[in-house]
Amino acid sequence: MSSQHPLAQATDESSSIYDLGYRRYEGVRLGRRHAILALYRESLRAAFGLGRSWSAKVGPAILIFIALVPGLIQIIVGALIPAGEIELIRHDGYYSGIKFILALYVGVVAPDVVGRDQRTRALTLYFTRPLSRADYALGKLAAMTTAMLGITLVPQLLLFIGNALSTDDFARFASDNWDQLFPIVGTALFGSWLIASIGTAIAAQTPQRAFATVGIIVAFLLPTAIAAVFVQEFDASWTNASAFLSPLDLVDGMTYWLFRTDLSGNGSIVELSGYAPVWFGVGAGVLALTCDALLLRRYAKVQA
Amino acid sequence: MPVFETNALSKHYPSVRALDELNVSIEPGIVGLVGANGAGKSTLIKLLLGLIQPTSGGAQVLGYDIRTQGLELRQYVGYMPEHDCLPPEMNATEFVAHMAQVSGLPAAASRERASEALRYAGLFEARYRQIAGYSTGMKQRAKLAQALVHDPRIVFLDEPTNGLDPAGRDDMLDLIRRTGHQMGITIVMATHLLGEIERTCDQLIVIDAGKLLHQGSVEEFTAATETLEVEVTGDPGPLASRLSAAGIEVTTEGQSVFLRPDGVAPYDLVRDSVVELGLGLVRIQQRRHTLEDLFRVEASEVEA
Repeated sequence: MSSQHPLAQATDESSSIYDLGYRRYEGVRLGRRHAILALYRESLRAAFGLGRSWSAKVGPAILIFIALVPGLIQIIVGALIPAGEIELIRHDGYYSGIKFILALYVGVVAPDVVGRDQRTRALTLYFTRPLSRADYALGKLAAMTTAMLGITLVPQLLLFIGNALSTDDFARFASDNWDQLFPIVGTALFGSWLIASIGTAIAAQTPQRAFATVGIIVAFLLPTAIAAVFVQEFDASWTNASAFLSPLDLVDGMTYWLFRTDLSGNGSIVELSGYAPVWFGVGAGVLALTCDALLLRRYAKVQA
Repeated sequence: MPVFETNALSKHYPSVRALDELNVSIEPGIVGLVGANGAGKSTLIKLLLGLIQPTSGGAQVLGYDIRTQGLELRQYVGYMPEHDCLPPEMNATEFVAHMAQVSGLPAAASRERASEALRYAGLFEARYRQIAGYSTGMKQRAKLAQALVHDPRIVFLDEPTNGLDPAGRDDMLDLIRRTGHQMGITIVMATHLLGEIERTCDQLIVIDAGKLLHQGSVEEFTAATETLEVEVTGDPGPLASRLSAAGIEVTTEGQSVFLRPDGVAPYDLVRDSVVELGLGLVRIQQRRHTLEDLFRVEASEVEA
């Protein structure tokens, strides 16, 4: 076909409509791995509304922009006030600063990434292709985790660059702070995985977009509110454990752990609970794995 | 070698035996799968595709075991479900290309074949429009295109003419016939319309309440049930007795005489008799078979 002149082809087309051709495919078939990658790529595009109408792009774009604001402010302030090092927003305090944006983002995006195929029933078509149900679930989880990086890793890196620009000496800042890069990337990956696991596990339960969105936001915000009341008002060891049920506080504690933050006097639920940040890291891992198991179980059973 | 073969294949649900110890063996060609709604057609297709797991028994499709080799098998299988399965917010070209990739085709080949498959299925300029704006007929074409895009060796079509107007129905059946006969792709087409089977298929599987009722060539079946309807003005009684005197099996119903000739239809005798009896001839036609006819024939054969 590629060797044929385009005009010659056009004439064929007009002369006989259907007959131009179904051709056999003799090329390679790349199988399962390729199928999973294709699913991953397309799901990631769906997360940002790419290849869809502009209305699908608006939600994620606005939320990512809001998440970028602290970093942008840092860059602007750094540019306007050149003297000295001004660190307005710290890396380890960033996620607790945009908590609600994180919850809102996963609430908006996860139903597009996982619920959509159940809603349109395209799920049937995927399950009749060379990938297993578990492959499908993990491909979706990977896509959602990657989509989360847009609102975790990207703003953190922007913040890092902003901080670097606000110093007199970019090179000195970089050499002094390069050890920050590990926790920046580590918390972004870990946090994205946890949040994506919760979001996909909930969104996969229903084809209804609105239910999924509300369910996810409630799952993030309700435990946060409960933990805040239990930890701040009652302050008993058993009530303080409620902090481990709150995904956003787990992200917070895990961040403090990876950044080795000195908690004294920062007033966070993590500090008030009295548990060492490392336990929040463990809790985050346990919760994420539990949600992943739920996600796999759901797709093992869902009717297609 | 059979394209697929089932071995006491059963699917039981708590309240119903959707498929009960089915044994069929199918040669390459166009196969009609007939049965009333709920007879087990879709269940059989879903079992062969690996969408659901059999309760007992097994099957081989293209030589692959459906229980253990589903992933390999599904590289070479196409499926057009009965229900809607297209994401409305994508355009057909993009979606069909994506499905080709999920079937294991490389990206460039997928794009090329997506365009070809859609053109082959009869979607032209519209293939770059959002699926949301498609008519039922266009959606059916896009569904067929995604089932053919990766050049499968066997395609399962579940009620492919559902919701189509007469012209669209003709087009679709024509396309199916062409795909089966010219491309050498085996097609299994589930339908409850016997007329479609007669026009399109060369083999026939009839199932009822999860059991195999009949399997064989379509020719064999139509020869056995060929009925000629002769409608006249006036009393059809004398005509019936004259024809039965000539040794033809007849029944009367209203203004019509139904003939079941052995071999060549006795058009001349009918014409002459009508003229001699002074009757007005309204029509002579091949009577359209209904599913009930088929079941009646099968039932009487079973009794005999």
